[in-house]
Amino acid sequence: MRALIIDDSRTMRIIISKIVREIGFETGDAGDGQEGLNWIAENGFPELVCCDWNMPEMNGLEFVQHARAMPGNEAMHIMMITTESEADNVMAALEAGANEYLMKPFTKESIQDKLSILGLVP
Amino acid sequence: MNELLNEFLVESYENMDQYEGSLIELEKDPTSKKLVSAIFRTLHTVKGTCGFLGLSRLEAIAHAGENLLSLVRDGVVSFNQAIASALLATGDAVRAILAQLEKTETEGDLDYSELVALLVSLQKPAAEGAASVAESAHPTKAAPTEARAVPVEAEAVPVKAPVKAAPATKAPAADPKPESKAVKAPVEVPVEASAAKAQPTAKAPEGDSPSGSKASDSTVRVNVELLDRLMNLVGELVLTRNQIVQLTGSLESVPMQAACHRLNHITTELQDRMMKTRVQPIDALWSKLPRTVRDLAQLCGKQIRLETEGAETELDRTVIEAIKDPMTHLLRNSVDHGVESPEERRAAGKNPEGRILLRAFHAAGLVTIEIIDDGGGIKVERVKARALERNLITPEKAATMSQQEVVNLIFQAGFSTAEKVSNISGRGVGMDVVKTQIEKIGGMVDMSTEVGKSTTCRIKIPLTLAIIPVVIVGCRGDRFAIPQTNLLEVIRLDKNLMVETVHETPVVRLRGNLLPIVFLDSVLAIKTGEREETQHLVVLQAGDRHFGLVVDTIHEAEEIVVKPLGRALTAVSCFAGATILGDGHVALILDIFGLGSRAAMFQSTRAANAFEEEAKAQGVGTGALLNELLVFHVGGIRAAMPLDMVSRLEEFSREQIEEAAGRQVIQYGGSIMPLISLSRALGFDETKSSDGRVQTIVYARNGRAVGLVIDGVEEIVRGNIEVQPAGRRSGVLGSAVIGKQITELIDAQDLVRTHASDLFE
Repeated sequence: MRALIIDDSRTMRIIISKIVREIGFETGDAGDGQEGLNWIAENGFPELVCCDWNMPEMNGLEFVQHARAMPGNEAMHIMMITTESEADNVMAALEAGANEYLMKPFTKESIQDKLSILGLVP
Repeated sequence: MNELLNEFLVESYENMDQYEGSLIELEKDPTSKKLVSAIFRTLHTVKGTCGFLGLSRLEAIAHAGENLLSLVRDGVVSFNQAIASALLATGDAVRAILAQLEKTETEGDLDYSELVALLVSLQKPAAEGAASVAESAHPTKAAPTEARAVPVEAEAVPVKAPVKAAPATKAPAADPKPESKAVKAPVEVPVEASAAKAQPTAKAPEGDSPSGSKASDSTVRVNVELLDRLMNLVGELVLTRNQIVQLTGSLESVPMQAACHRLNHITTELQDRMMKTRVQPIDALWSKLPRTVRDLAQLCGKQIRLETEGAETELDRTVIEAIKDPMTHLLRNSVDHGVESPEERRAAGKNPEGRILLRAFHAAGLVTIEIIDDGGGIKVERVKARALERNLITPEKAATMSQQEVVNLIFQAGFSTAEKVSNISGRGVGMDVVKTQIEKIGGMVDMSTEVGKSTTCRIKIPLTLAIIPVVIVGCRGDRFAIPQTNLLEVIRLDKNLMVETVHETPVVRLRGNLLPIVFLDSVLAIKTGEREETQHLVVLQAGDRHFGLVVDTIHEAEEIVVKPLGRALTAVSCFAGATILGDGHVALILDIFGLGSRAAMFQSTRAANAFEEEAKAQGVGTGALLNELLVFHVGGIRAAMPLDMVSRLEEFSREQIEEAAGRQVIQYGGSIMPLISLSRALGFDETKSSDGRVQTIVYARNGRAVGLVIDGVEEIVRGNIEVQPAGRRSGVLGSAVIGKQITELIDAQDLVRTHASDLFE
């Protein structure tokens, strides 16, 4: 299974990728929503997208809207990575088509919990 | 250090640079939503990562800043200077913690609760304070006054926050070894698109990629250490290439020659490209300056707009590193002394907001950087007065100096025009230090000013420090490299140019000036090998001082790759580095500043002036060199007089000449000195120099001095001169052949007796 990590912070990408790889995914990464879309265009839909909220160029919400408008995206799960100060945004993202959200800071266990809710891990 | 923390530090430093830059821009354009979002995001990113790394202190600060920013972003609180200052202080605090992390991997134990409290207090909308008063009789009138009071009160506080953070922020800056910084900012290396595509690993072109090639595709991040290592290897390759080229030059094998030619070619190109990977736009330095200017301007109560031109101009990063301090100092100087206060500017009919322009461009293989302010200019008379007061120049010299020369006196050691020592530019670092720093990397600096309008400071620096042009010299069998930037001329020492001793200092007389000299072998205590019979004098310049260096042989001029010295030699101030010559020999590169100070050549300018004066007086007084003649021209002929008759050579400007008691006189050394026109005294037509300068020989006897006006000095000669008595002419002893030319010998005593007898009775 493949996971795409979209975050403008390199450090965050390293952190998330590491955890997701430990769980058993192959990972790819992108620095903002537009780069995320480009990645999908090149590599096809991954099973999982972990997407940051606040990014330059294209933010997380816009990414969800664009990605969900692409044909054939149904099997892709989107998990928004957010902080408590952005809790209001979670609803907007879920409405736009995100499947789950994850509050920073998180642990390997909390990601695993969310992924099992999505049925991606046993 | 853990890789994740390292990545976090690099990223957060970048974020904070951006944070600061955007904040300063926001001050100019407070309504920009885009800027607020960008600022918010940088802080948000820092905060978001803190939780994973267990950095609670940093998280708390970033969180407080972020909350305030989100209110600004949503328009609940309007952006003002108090907020700007508090947010900048937040940036400083974040940096301080980052620096601490870099050093100790802990957050340190500085207390930032005051800063956090300030950030929280600013979250109350300014209007809220007014709201409580709103119920009073005149709500509409009371509100604005109250509202204004809030930011003013708050403004006093942010000053405290940075002060608290100061010890931590300063620590990394004061660190003398930049290498010890674990986090080196990697440079973005542009990779040409074509090259990227040609790589075998590149995927087959995918035409339907939506946005074509992205910026992130054509650049890779490379660690600077790796680049330095590569540069070093290329340097080695260049040296090896040189050796091979020299060795194969004598071979007859054509294929070998051809291969060698190719090697030569490729190496040159490789070196050239390698240099390019190390360049950075000067903006890497400049982007940090708006903050400096803003803080200073606020501190001095000035309004200053900083503009840049040519921020994309590229320079080797070592050069950028080297000009950082002098550049910042010059800019501080412009803010502090250049731009006037808003009131002064208004009074002068100028825009109360001053402007400082930073401009960079490539010209003639050098990079020129200009710092131009539109302030009141440098007051030339004040500079002159100060220089006289500090004995940096003599009154005679002062009278003949051009405005340009006077202005550049501010770069002399011991000069500082600040009337009060301000904590801005008067940090105990003078402009002379700036000059020295720039000259150390082979650069130049000068000032020019237009009174009431502007001051321009111009720095010229080489593009790189890795390869420098040098002259190779030999001393007792060893080879040394002298950087061309320090070299003025090379002269063969022979019987026309002999070493004398004045005040136990060896000197030579070079075109009428005494030049102190040092012997390379004695400075470096080289005792092996033999001195050559004929030696050479290399005239060197280090800052304002000139001196001569005696070496044995002069070899070729070369462009060499500078290699750092081993640890054992770095403590020796005489060497700037080493290089390997084409024949495989190692040559040490001489550090001219270090060498000069090691040879105790660099007294202060004042002491040097005194030395010169005394040296001249002595050289004349003892009569030890009887056969020395000063050769000059006057009235179209070549004339000479014994050097022991000459007390000094002086240059005046024509306007200084006055009439008194029917005679031309000039104020000199605190008394009145009569002038005698030598050409008129000898019966020639008087010639007037076109530049308004008057050259005189000062002849002194019994405490009285007379100035003999001549057209110009030619040289000083030494040796047995045969005088042919030629006719009886007043004031002429006879003629002689000096330097293959007929020269009239002047009888100064006789002249003075005839033309100024009253003075010497």
